[in-house]
Amino acid sequence: MQAVNDVAGLLFGPDDELRKIIWLTLRMSFFSVLISSAVGIPFGVILGCLKFPGRGLVIRVTTTLMGMPPVVGGLIVFLILSNSGPLGHLRLLYSLEAMVTAQVVLITPIITGLTANTVGVRYKQVAETARGIGLSPSKSLSYTLFECRRQMIAVLLTGFGRAIAEVGAVQIAGGNIQHKTRVMTTTIMMATNMGRFNTAVALGGVLLLIAFLINGFAHFFSKEEDA
Amino acid sequence: MIQVLGVRKEYTGRCVLDVPSLCFEQGKRYALLGANGSGKSTLLKILAGIIKPTEGTVQSEAAGKNAVGYMPQKPYGFSFSVLRNVTMAIDACPNRKEIAKSAIGAVGMSTLINADASKLSGGETQRIAFARIIAIQRKLLLLDEPTASTDLNGIDLLEKALLNYCGETGCTVIFATHSPAQAMRLANQVIFLQQGLIAEHGESKQVLHEPQSKAAQAFLNHWKL
Ligand SMILES: Nc1ncnc2c1ncn2[C@@H]1O[C@H](COP(=O)(O)OP(=O)(O)OP(=O)(O)O)[C@@H](O)[C@H]1O
Ligand SMILES: [Mg+2]
Repeated sequence: MQAVNDVAGLLFGPDDELRKIIWLTLRMSFFSVLISSAVGIPFGVILGCLKFPGRGLVIRVTTTLMGMPPVVGGLIVFLILSNSGPLGHLRLLYSLEAMVTAQVVLITPIITGLTANTVGVRYKQVAETARGIGLSPSKSLSYTLFECRRQMIAVLLTGFGRAIAEVGAVQIAGGNIQHKTRVMTTTIMMATNMGRFNTAVALGGVLLLIAFLINGFAHFFSKEEDA
Repeated sequence: MIQVLGVRKEYTGRCVLDVPSLCFEQGKRYALLGANGSGKSTLLKILAGIIKPTEGTVQSEAAGKNAVGYMPQKPYGFSFSVLRNVTMAIDACPNRKEIAKSAIGAVGMSTLINADASKLSGGETQRIAFARIIAIQRKLLLLDEPTASTDLNGIDLLEKALLNYCGETGCTVIFATHSPAQAMRLANQVIFLQQGLIAEHGESKQVLHEPQSKAAQAFLNHWKL
């Protein structure tokens, strides 16, 4: 009982450190998904609906990148942003921007691949009917996107779920600096190592709850259409 | 008039359609008959410009965006109302709702006019797709098994609506079907396809009652039984 009280105290008590960590994590995940989808959705639509030379190769590369180990993504961003790297002069390492960049590297291929798949399948079904009634290719495409709207929300939520639960890349690129780049996952790792289990459990619970909600929404949006 | 010249379609090296020469006259109705995989849909898609032939050309007097209406074998119902599924196809004009409503009425779907078209049954989706094609007033209709999933009443309604539309507009119709009886009721001419080749082409009565080719004879034996 005491443990439950302690955990609740950490989350809702006067010290707002954990709440700030949660808020930072949500902001990081939100911006990561925002940027990843700004790039990944158009790219995915092109990949899913248009035929162009080299398309098969691009799809294979995207699929490979979808499974990139997060620490490798973090390492790449670290090398680029570190003092001796090509963008070292920007002094972005160990910042929110660095963490978002690392997340974007990881999530953009996922959003691209899932979009290409979702939109591509639907476009095949829609295009014959749409072109048969004389709609232009761009109109067929916009109807296809409209028909995919629910699944696309599920794609974005999947990206968000990846971002919020990821630890390796943000640890490398963000450095887990208190009040600056300390997010839920890196805090849990650190707290566990230090034996501060109440903190770890509190954040673990919140993370699990968020993951559960995201999954619930994603399931709801991807399912309903065919129900 | 539509002229098909030396059209071939290959998929991964396999030839699925080979039509050296074929001519469709303005104002006539043509039925495409033939077994599964004989190339009916492929021919219709090439005529509609949905796919490109590997070789050959299709020349049409009635060219242009608003000349052709094509209804695929598996038409798509969009996830909004049945009414909007039809109006979406009609160019902006003040009375397009009325046009759409009368087309929907003609296929017996008035009671479902506000239903979500993505949730309709197969036959209902076909009826809506047919209403959509009629409503856009094209001079050339390409219909891929338009009544394959409809019930007997639906077949009756769609055929009547088609004949009405033809009477009013003098349009050309090319449709695929598996029903020789339907070909008899609707078509002036029958084109019988076998493995991508035209096995027989002629007046409906002639082809259906006195088929000359072995392929058509064998195929129509199932009907006569
Ligand atoms: N995209 C494709 N890729 C490979 N083969 C194809 C493709 N589309 C059609 N085919 C092949 O072309 C042949 C003709 O197909 P088509 O759809 O024209 O037949 P159909 O006469 O319409 O048959 P059905 O009565 O079953 O509708 C079939 O053997 C089919 O497998
Ligand atoms: Mg077919």
